Amino acid sequence: MKKIEAIIQPFKLEPVKEALKSIGIDGMTITEVRGHGRQKGHKEVYRGQEYNVDLLPKVKVELVVTDARLNEILSTLTTAARTGKIGDGKVFVYDVAEAIRIRNDDRGEAAL
Amino acid sequence: MTTAEKLRFDPIGALAERTLAVDAQVSNAWQRHLALSVPAGAAILAVGGYGRRQLFPYSDIDLLLLFASEKAAAAHKEEIAGFLQQLWDAGMRVSQSVRTPAECCELHEGNIELSVSLLDQRYLAGDATVYGTMLAKLPRFVHGQRDALVRHLSRMTRERHARFNGTFHHLEPNIKEAPGGLRDLQLVSWLAQIAGTTPQAFSGPVRVPELDDARRTLFALRGYLHQQAKRDSNILTFDAQEWIAELMGVEETAVMRGYFRSARTVHRSALGALETEEARASSLFAQFRDRRSRVSNADFTVARERIYLRAPQQLAAEPELALRLLEFIGRHGMRLSLEAEQRISPQLAAVRQYFTQPRPIWPALREALSLPHAPLALRVAYETGVLTALFPELERIDSLVIRDFFHRYTVDEHTLVAIQTLAELRGEKVPPASSFAGLFSEIEQPGLLVFALLFHDVGKGNRQEAHIDASLRLADRALERIQMPAAERASMRFLIRHHLDMSATMNGRDPFDPSTARDFAHAVGTVENLKRLTLITYADISAVNPTVMTSWRAEQLWQLYLLTYNELTRELETERIEEADSPEQSAFLEGFPKRYLRTHSEADVARHMQLELESRTRGVAVDLEKSGSIYRLTLVTVDRPFLFATVSGTLSSFGMNILKAEAFANRRGAVLDTFSFADPLRTLELNPTEMDRLKATVERAVLGRADVKQLLRSRPRSAPLSRKARIDPAIHFDDQASQSATLIQVVAEDRPGLLYDIASTISSRGASIEVVLIDTEAHKAIDVFYVTAAGRKLTPEKQAELQQALLAVLRG
Repeated sequence: MKKIEAIIQPFKLEPVKEALKSIGIDGMTITEVRGHGRQKGHKEVYRGQEYNVDLLPKVKVELVVTDARLNEILSTLTTAARTGKIGDGKVFVYDVAEAIRIRNDDRGEAAL
Repeated sequence: MTTAEKLRFDPIGALAERTLAVDAQVSNAWQRHLALSVPAGAAILAVGGYGRRQLFPYSDIDLLLLFASEKAAAAHKEEIAGFLQQLWDAGMRVSQSVRTPAECCELHEGNIELSVSLLDQRYLAGDATVYGTMLAKLPRFVHGQRDALVRHLSRMTRERHARFNGTFHHLEPNIKEAPGGLRDLQLVSWLAQIAGTTPQAFSGPVRVPELDDARRTLFALRGYLHQQAKRDSNILTFDAQEWIAELMGVEETAVMRGYFRSARTVHRSALGALETEEARASSLFAQFRDRRSRVSNADFTVARERIYLRAPQQLAAEPELALRLLEFIGRHGMRLSLEAEQRISPQLAAVRQYFTQPRPIWPALREALSLPHAPLALRVAYETGVLTALFPELERIDSLVIRDFFHRYTVDEHTLVAIQTLAELRGEKVPPASSFAGLFSEIEQPGLLVFALLFHDVGKGNRQEAHIDASLRLADRALERIQMPAAERASMRFLIRHHLDMSATMNGRDPFDPSTARDFAHAVGTVENLKRLTLITYADISAVNPTVMTSWRAEQLWQLYLLTYNELTRELETERIEEADSPEQSAFLEGFPKRYLRTHSEADVARHMQLELESRTRGVAVDLEKSGSIYRLTLVTVDRPFLFATVSGTLSSFGMNILKAEAFANRRGAVLDTFSFADPLRTLELNPTEMDRLKATVERAVLGRADVKQLLRSRPRSAPLSRKARIDPAIHFDDQASQSATLIQVVAEDRPGLLYDIASTISSRGASIEVVLIDTEAHKAIDVFYVTAAGRKLTPEKQAELQQALLAVLRG
């Protein structure tokens, strides 16, 4: 099992959710986060005052998937989240030791 | 027949039946474990819901073991344990306490709950003498502690209501704890018992059969919920709503409307009972003093923070009193007294009838909706039926449930919460909310915004028509009736039509793609529209549920506002009108920024062209009109140096406070300037002839026949600001914003003649003012000038020189 953690642009959340749904992935955790990588912050002048936006709003999508489906899901996700510009975000993949469904104690991939 | 089936027909009978069965089991356990070992000095009592014979399938069984002394209780610990164990083994969830008669009749903070639970006590078994001892003391104790008990119940109730945002309009309501739930029903009965009277005497504005009906509905629903969940569950979830609807053979909406109707009845009854008791607790003197409260007027009196009608039948005789009521609550922030509510109710039909005819009430309504307590005024008017008598369109969203994962409230409650969110912005000091608070303080007509929110979702729940289309259609009907002027009507329609666009852009477009701000700027057209739509969006999202407007989301919204604002104010120079519909129009419009067309209606354009025609013979043409509390001066003439400074100086010399100004120039050198200003000294209002004198003076000044400096010497002086409110002047030059001009942003403390000083300083340094945007935010003036020198951007040297000169003028 692998855990996918994707930091994406907020306006790409809907396309990503739709794309994952279309290949049968419904379950995920969404968090509103802030951050920046190479995109850095952003500067705006509003009425003569500078507004610095150091940390940009992003969305973190987390999901745990079976090893067999990992590549398919990663390519669906990155395709849906891509604009081709700086700021599109990043995806991290981790190994997962165990998964337990709290309701009935299902273990491993059965719990996904 | 199952319990659920029984509950469908006779909830109260089913509960009593279960109570009887439990009574038998408790008595049996008492006989087995305690009757023989403690023949005297101990008794068992039912308290709480069990005491009231209202035992739901999975309710706790509340018991009170009454012992003559603590020592006796301690001596029979084992028997008590056996007694309780038998009940637990029989599958009952028992919650018990052991007390002496003396303990039952004393009051301290720690055991006030016990005192309340004793109000529902019922003898089950054991020594009747020890029970008699307690019973003899109880009424005197309750009577003696009446005020303390009422205070406690009042505090508990208000805290409980606050946990649910004070409303029963939840999509998945907790039918026990939420306002209008079973706890409120108990409250009415407790308060009645404490006062030594019947609940009927306490039902406030609610009639007894209504309350009985509400009780039956809530009982039935709770019975169903227990039955379905097989535990003490009190939340009417979407699943439960479906299940119950199926069981009853009705639509889910029917179940929910039934619930909301009952909850409303119970809620009003509970508030009424509380109010009656709280009023009694205050002294007669306080009431006398309040009666003469100084906010009372010819229509309303105020006592104990509640509003009374002076003449009982006045509303039917004079339905426009309804508007004055909105205004009164909006200004003073007080609710109606129960007496007033009762009096209003039978007169609503007459009010409704009156307002089916077209009535020009918009000015009064706009005024009322702009007041600080307008959200309360609308809520009170809605709850008492006054608002739907004025606008029957709102009945369509009454308790309307639209299922949505994120939404917490019914559509009507969502609407009222959105309006409240908007008003609460006034007090926001911490970012990001404070940014929106700043926007709200700049809005010219907050009343229009509130009215747009009132109607934004009114078309929801209409299966034949898209929600926004239906909202617009219903709003149109109402706007026609109140005879709202065309310009405001267009703004209202714009806000309703586009109220979801900003969220959609936020969630669906890349904010840093330049086309996002450009497209959105085109869609909103003007800064004023952008500000209004931003605020509507903020309020609308915040009212979905109390946690949805995170600072993360607010920042996203603010960012879109910011990018669009900058887009709208920066593109002034780049896009020019090249061609218009007719040759005459082209002659006038060519060279104006495209924004001119977006910010002016066809009627405006026609009027401006007429002015231009007049100006050809006389050299200048001036138009002055009043809109609400704001005056607007429009002027067309041939461009000349110091023009902008001259007009702003003349207006200042009349004591006018310039709020906004814009200047447009066409290819042929004609200039169109508009100035919006307030008249703080009410000169124009009190002296109608001054309107003409002002126009004539502006004309003379423009044509060089009057000296502005001279005029300004005789201008009315206003009081200087306190030192605390002082704002340091800031000047910012920007060469990037426009292709052909340098942008100068001046932020300074507003004062009479400020605009004249800035504009004449710029003109005196040989620079010409191409476009001006003026904004005033409380005492802060934020002026943006697009300036050129010899047709080009200002050189760095020129900028430095202007900076020095402007700072010198601003620092005085």
